[in-house]
Amino acid sequence: MTEWFQGQLGYGFGWFVSTLILILMIALPLMLAVAMIIYADRKIWAAMALRRGPNVVGPFGLLQSFADGLKVFLKETIIPSSANRGLFLLAPIITFTIALIAWAVIPFGPDMVLADINVGLLYILAASSLGVYGVIIAGWASNSKYPFYSALRAAAQMVSYEVSIGFVLITVILWAGTFNLQGIIAMQKSHVFFLNGFGFNPLLFPMAVIFLISAMAETARAPFDLTEAESELVAGYQTEYSSMSFALFWLGEYGNVLLMCALNATLFWGGWLPPIDWAPLYVVPGIIWLFAKIFIFFFIFSWVKATVPRFRYDQLMRLGWKIFLPFALLWVAIVSGYLMITRYGALA
Amino acid sequence: MAPQAAEYLPILLFLGVALALSAAFVALPMIASRFTGSHKPYADKLAEYECGFPAFEDSRSQFDVRFYLVAILFIIFDLEAAFLFPWAVSLGAIGIAGWTAMMIFLAELTLGYVYAWKKGALEWE
Amino acid sequence: MGAGLGREHCRRCALPLSRQPNLKGHDRNVIQTFTFYLFATIVIASGALTILSRNPVHSVLWLILAFFNAAGLMLILGAEFIAMLLVIVYVGAVAVLFLFVVMMLDVDFAEMRAGFARYAGFGALMAVVLLAEMIFAVAAWNAGGVSVASKAAPVDPSVPNIEALGTVLFTRYLYIFEAAGLVLLVAMIGAIVLTHRTRSGLRPQNPSEQNRRRPEEATRNMNPGIGQGVEL
Repeated sequence: MTEWFQGQLGYGFGWFVSTLILILMIALPLMLAVAMIIYADRKIWAAMALRRGPNVVGPFGLLQSFADGLKVFLKETIIPSSANRGLFLLAPIITFTIALIAWAVIPFGPDMVLADINVGLLYILAASSLGVYGVIIAGWASNSKYPFYSALRAAAQMVSYEVSIGFVLITVILWAGTFNLQGIIAMQKSHVFFLNGFGFNPLLFPMAVIFLISAMAETARAPFDLTEAESELVAGYQTEYSSMSFALFWLGEYGNVLLMCALNATLFWGGWLPPIDWAPLYVVPGIIWLFAKIFIFFFIFSWVKATVPRFRYDQLMRLGWKIFLPFALLWVAIVSGYLMITRYGALA
Repeated sequence: MAPQAAEYLPILLFLGVALALSAAFVALPMIASRFTGSHKPYADKLAEYECGFPAFEDSRSQFDVRFYLVAILFIIFDLEAAFLFPWAVSLGAIGIAGWTAMMIFLAELTLGYVYAWKKGALEWE
Repeated sequence: MGAGLGREHCRRCALPLSRQPNLKGHDRNVIQTFTFYLFATIVIASGALTILSRNPVHSVLWLILAFFNAAGLMLILGAEFIAMLLVIVYVGAVAVLFLFVVMMLDVDFAEMRAGFARYAGFGALMAVVLLAEMIFAVAAWNAGGVSVASKAAPVDPSVPNIEALGTVLFTRYLYIFEAAGLVLLVAMIGAIVLTHRTRSGLRPQNPSEQNRRRPEEATRNMNPGIGQGVEL
């Protein structure tokens, strides 16, 4: 595609136009996916509570999210008189932007990746470490008590779980020997047992579990949604927000949830590779496999949200600092030791 | 420009597009509400939310020092991870000496971690 | 996606090495110059605003913007790892602590401004010292008439610089690396000693104790007669 545009429009400009189209091909379907995943979340949650969930707008209520979006769009943007106007409006922009940009390095297929950078995983870690700013700035700029407390909680919670996520990622990097996400996926092809490509790695499996739980805490999903615990903090840092600025926090949150599901699929379960290394399965495009895996993980997120009661803050901190962190640290030593012996021939 | 840097141009462009999109999402409803007539601010509506009361005090109060401690511990473990990143990809090249060095490094940090645990710095009552 | 895939592959992973967008010669120079001046201008502007803004929270936010664009400058040089580390460590961790401190500290701004005159002389002295150091550094760098190209460390473009860095750090600079570990240990203990306060009258949850507790220890089977109470 790039070549065609460059032929039509000249070298630099052709590249610019084609890249812009590729970016929109990621960003716009992503927003559509977020809308649909919110609907799916509500449906799954409702089904587990023996309710029907949204079923009025469109067939099976499929258009519910769009109706909500339209409604929210036409609402008034209320900016509290005591708030810092600029920062108040900047916070949702930051949240949503960060939720979008991390997708630039996620591989959707063998050569379907916008920016195939060497340090892809670090880039994602960097992007996710910025997620805390939207929340802190929103909480501070609102100049209101509940958002402020919520921002504090959110910041401490996110940084605590980022520590364990960092160490979990190191075990993945150790195994793959590269930060490049395509490389990490490629390494999962050569695997234990016949389940090639499915990426089931007994050594990394405990890390996959820790990553899944930490991802829930990092995105402040139930049961770790203490930042918006309605019984104590009203709506948390979103309390003062309205209209589309409020919706952007939602879109950002679900965008991040999808990203975490995509990461889980990519780092531990073979990304766009088919579940079993069997030739006919490769006929199905990789993007379908990736989406299927993302949806499975999203279902787990929903399932947990519907069934697990909310943690208390001290329990949350203990899980992060006293269980996940030492376990992940130990696992770094174990995985690297195993690789030293088997792959790099330390004893030979 | 270094050859690797060219890979980041799409990301820069993506950043621009994402910023523009989200800024549009914030700005457009504000403009739209002027036309639809939903933009009707008044003093009570613009007051900050405090369960229906007027605000008692300044919301930006001092808070517990434990939040600082969590942030500081986070920085230290983040730096530790920063050392682990290049180590993890160059494990084959640096061999057993590099591996042992990192294990000693991790042991040092574990010492600090055990100290934090014993002191109760990881406690959150 | 559209990137010209090269034939040669990385020696560690299954990736082709020449994964570059189809940009060449002239275009690349134009973009490089443009992005350099864009990042450099924002770094300097936000650095100035960090000092000049009256609200300390705004200062920290400008500082964060400066960090960001410094990371962008690193990327132009091809130092991917340093750029990402700048974002992860400085923006993602250090600046969060800064924000914590300035947001939640009850700072009396009038008092702070009154202190300005008192420290102005000292501040100016520090500035002069820093400037002198920078001039010395540049002078030393330029001394001897060695060209920039030969001063730069040889870079093998086929090795990602994070790997190159790791190889050097864990062989040649091994002792310095261990010393860094000790510094981190001291920092950790120091932070705990300085900020940790044990509070009394709290009843923290002890899950292992809870799990060890058996029904026999906690409950008693009673069978009181009619009209009789239970002695506890």
